[in-house]
Amino acid sequence: MLRITGGKVYDPANDVNGEVRDVCISDGRIVAEVAGADVRTIDAAGMVVFPGGVDVHTHVAGGALNFARAMTPENHRAAAKFTHSPELRAGVGGTTPSTFATGYLYAGLGYTTVNEAAVPVLSARHTHEELRDTPLVDKTCCVLMANNELILDLLEEGETERAKHLLAWHLWAAKGYGVKAVNPGGVTAWKWGKDAKILSEPVPGYSKVTPAKIISSMAAMVDELKLPHPMHLHCNNLGAPGNIDTTIETMKVLDGHRAHMAHLQFHSYGGDDWDTLRSESVRLAEFFNGQPNLTADAGAILFGDSVTITADGPWQHLLYQLTGRKWGNLDVENETGCGVVPYTYKGTNMVNAVQWAVGLELLLLIDDPWRIYLTTDHPNGACFWRYPEIIHLLMNADFRRECIDKLPEKALKRIHLPGIDREYTLSEIAIIISAGPARALGMPQKGHLGVGADADVALYNDDPDRERMFGHPRYLLKGGEVVVEEGDIRKMVDGRECIVRPSFDKNIEEYLRPLFEQYYTMSFDNYPVEMDRLEGADIRECG
Amino acid sequence: MITLTLKEQPEVPIEAEALSPDVVAELGNDELRALPIFFGKRQLRLDDFFEVEGEASEELEIHGDASRVKWLGRGMTRGQLRIVGNAGMHLGAFMKGGAIDVSGNASDWVGAEMSGGLIRIGGNVGGQIGAAYRGSLTGMTAGTIVVEGSAGLEVGMRMKRGTIVVKGMAKDFTGLEMKGGTIILGGAELRTGAWMNRGTIISLTPIPLLPTFAYNCSYNPTFLRIYSRELETLGVSLPFEESEGSYELYSGDAAVSRKGELLVWKPAG
Amino acid sequence: MAAQLGGKVTCTLGEVKNRADFIIYWGGNPADCHPLHFSRYTLIPKGKHVPEGRKGRTMVLVDVRETPSAKHADILLQIKPGKDFEVITTLRALVKNQPVDAARVAETGLTLEQMQDFVDRMKNARFGVLFFGMGLSMTRGKHMNSAAALALVAELNAYTKFVSMPMRGHGNVTGADVVMRWTTGFPFGVSMSRGYPRFNPGEFSTIDVLVRGDNDATLVLGADPGATMPQPAIDHLARTPTIVLDPKVTHTSRLARVHITTATTGISAPGTVYRMDEIPLPLKPILESPYPTDEEVVHRILEKVKEKPAWLPASFKEVPCA
Repeated sequence: MLRITGGKVYDPANDVNGEVRDVCISDGRIVAEVAGADVRTIDAAGMVVFPGGVDVHTHVAGGALNFARAMTPENHRAAAKFTHSPELRAGVGGTTPSTFATGYLYAGLGYTTVNEAAVPVLSARHTHEELRDTPLVDKTCCVLMANNELILDLLEEGETERAKHLLAWHLWAAKGYGVKAVNPGGVTAWKWGKDAKILSEPVPGYSKVTPAKIISSMAAMVDELKLPHPMHLHCNNLGAPGNIDTTIETMKVLDGHRAHMAHLQFHSYGGDDWDTLRSESVRLAEFFNGQPNLTADAGAILFGDSVTITADGPWQHLLYQLTGRKWGNLDVENETGCGVVPYTYKGTNMVNAVQWAVGLELLLLIDDPWRIYLTTDHPNGACFWRYPEIIHLLMNADFRRECIDKLPEKALKRIHLPGIDREYTLSEIAIIISAGPARALGMPQKGHLGVGADADVALYNDDPDRERMFGHPRYLLKGGEVVVEEGDIRKMVDGRECIVRPSFDKNIEEYLRPLFEQYYTMSFDNYPVEMDRLEGADIRECG
Repeated sequence: MITLTLKEQPEVPIEAEALSPDVVAELGNDELRALPIFFGKRQLRLDDFFEVEGEASEELEIHGDASRVKWLGRGMTRGQLRIVGNAGMHLGAFMKGGAIDVSGNASDWVGAEMSGGLIRIGGNVGGQIGAAYRGSLTGMTAGTIVVEGSAGLEVGMRMKRGTIVVKGMAKDFTGLEMKGGTIILGGAELRTGAWMNRGTIISLTPIPLLPTFAYNCSYNPTFLRIYSRELETLGVSLPFEESEGSYELYSGDAAVSRKGELLVWKPAG
Repeated sequence: MAAQLGGKVTCTLGEVKNRADFIIYWGGNPADCHPLHFSRYTLIPKGKHVPEGRKGRTMVLVDVRETPSAKHADILLQIKPGKDFEVITTLRALVKNQPVDAARVAETGLTLEQMQDFVDRMKNARFGVLFFGMGLSMTRGKHMNSAAALALVAELNAYTKFVSMPMRGHGNVTGADVVMRWTTGFPFGVSMSRGYPRFNPGEFSTIDVLVRGDNDATLVLGADPGATMPQPAIDHLARTPTIVLDPKVTHTSRLARVHITTATTGISAPGTVYRMDEIPLPLKPILESPYPTDEEVVHRILEKVKEKPAWLPASFKEVPCA
């Protein structure tokens, strides 16, 4: 049993906004009170108490990430090292941390839950094995579906009901939590070296299936299946100048269905080409503000080295052609693909300067912090362990202005950031790094400090240097265990995976099996992930 | 001057990045003796492996067959490091300044990713000298390496600037993916200049060339006359007189660029 | 290592089955070494987008000699031994319409016309795949030969869809690579001697360490270096403490101090095998074994190791070292 006392508690989900009050923990959960001799007390005077961080969109485990690890030994060499000790496993940090290091680095920010944003069904087993080796955080994962050709074939035939059962079957087979849609139709087109940039145009190889159809059908399926997390959507045309139109059109196509728009920064550009690229965050925020069914995460960039890893094959090929950096590509039969290109964002590069501004603009212009969350699409925009830098930029307008002053002159006319004075409060930060993402993920036991919540609690010094503050939690509790104390990782605990069991007609398997045997290259019985691959999974029944 | 004498061959290689003029320049003898040496997974003391004489000097001399002593002179920026004997892997890696002299042989990765300074090897070296570590975009960016003997694979791989001289034979892939700088060879085996972007490779004997290198002309470039004088100060002799012969100029590697230059000396007659 | 240099453009085998109309095997002999390759993945199957099956595909075999795979080929390109790198580098230039030296091209065993024809066919393919085997990755040039193949394929994507794939050896090499990467960041050749992972092929790769005698003990799990490695490595294994975990008594076991018989993975022990395209397949044991699994034995060894005093001194400070 534990009592945290004397700290300023920020629990926006329960309307607690900096009040000095006790937080009590027993048996891994928040409780109203604790008593007796067995209570450990943590004196949190001078500290703020936050619910543990929830990263709603990150790439930390599985085939694509591991492919990036293979390609970038130079990044591991330059990275922070984790030395083997009786408590800690060895590892490397950097742009694509090894699995144990991933857990330590998140704990080093006060985060306790992460959502692995892109999992192919065919290699889901691999993702779960890596997540098992990622300590200290609970996990969910989103399974890639919007380019699954068996589902697209059904949509072509107008068989949306059957497609829904197939989708649910796949989600259960992968032992996932949510549905991920990346560049709908585009990744399929990439199998022939093409893309799908126009939402109303049929995807190559199809006559009726358009990206718009995939988006609206899949969003509807997710709603009908009553999945806790809405369809998690990486829009078509990522990164392209002028893609604001695609993004707004996408939101219209969603027509009131729930959706979570991923890394919105990469989808907010005006202009006709790289020379005329500009921020359209104002237009996007205005439209987004009027769509209560949608949530989003920022996908902000920071200057420095990163690795781009996405399922958006055509985008990665383009990035390779533009930059000449090494290019990795892995198409996954019938389902999806991934591309990897190391990239460096430079403060002197006009395009990168605009991108830097856009991420911050979206966070500052979208009215409701409950609907826009702090992410960098790790490691695409920046490494997750740099989130504290973004928090500082959001909370301190003077510091932000100093950074804007360093941008190239011609970038200033293309961005809105200089005109924005808003400063985030601690309460709002608690929303965008914890309470909001937890709500979007549909995890009622996360992101808050009310009675019954998981005892995932982060204690930070109330330090005016917000970057230092959020980069060095004094304490971190995970499921009631003190895992970080005075800045050091003291204890290794395993996190759990949370998965869903959607309802579907078991007969869909009879439809699927012969097609699978024909189009895939493994035995059908080996396709679904066995339950025992996940250690102690928390299963949410749906529908 | 500080003198270290290797007591006996270590059972497994030791890692001695502490042995660099920057580290020892201000240390007293007791402090020197206590410097960390990594012996497999154990951290031991310098005097577990070496006799230690002298203190607080930028001049560091090592005696013995140190071919199993790795990382000597790592990242050094000043002073002199002399090895009377052989040296192990990663000699002078990340070096920024100062000078290293080895009387005998050195191993792989000499001067890897260095950005200044002078390294001289009296015997042979291994591979990847002046090169980029695996995956890194760039190898050495400045400085000079002079090898009296032969060299191994991937000499000057991805180097950007600086000079490498191998008076003997180099093995395959000399100048692989070079971005700039100069490599001078007594000769080489296969695939010299493979995938080079820019830079100059000069071979004093005929070498096999990739099909993606095109013959331009035979000439005696003026710059070589001047360059040759500079190289004499390093004990390197580069022929340039028309009466003695001329250079065949090739450009390549057409697979990536055609701005790389390969000069092959053809003696007269 | 080749992927570290310039990346890698690849796919899972089902993509080849469903789409490939132009298949190149370079330096490999699938008929003997990967006997189900043609029939399951690359030539025979009727793919979703290649409904004609074999008739819809063209197979090119590139090798230094004629192997049993040749009778399955539509086009045979025989090149001189040790010239693969030269050929691929030339192809890279021709793809970009760059000039090459015809005389030096001819030294490779192929004429310029043959190479140009090859380039044209590659560019005109709807979906090309280049499988490269040990004839490329294990001959002079080694990882650079593989890197050349990968670079050529990446560059062909400016013209058409093209992918590449290495033909891996037997056992779970891919699986070991995958697991090493997620736990340490690096695929092989990892040293933990300084307490954290470091990678340098040639310095820490097994064969080099054993040949030079850079280690003073060896634990061998599911491999038989005593059968395949150069004599200095074998001598070193014999004169230093070597421990073998294997279902069978191997050549290495006969040199070792200790041999522990373990259950056969896949038959008596569960696990996961990663296919050459990195797809994980579950291993479902069907027979009981009287022997412990490798995993059990390693855990028991680790328990004993944990009882020993920590080898890093309390004041250990990480000294940066590449």
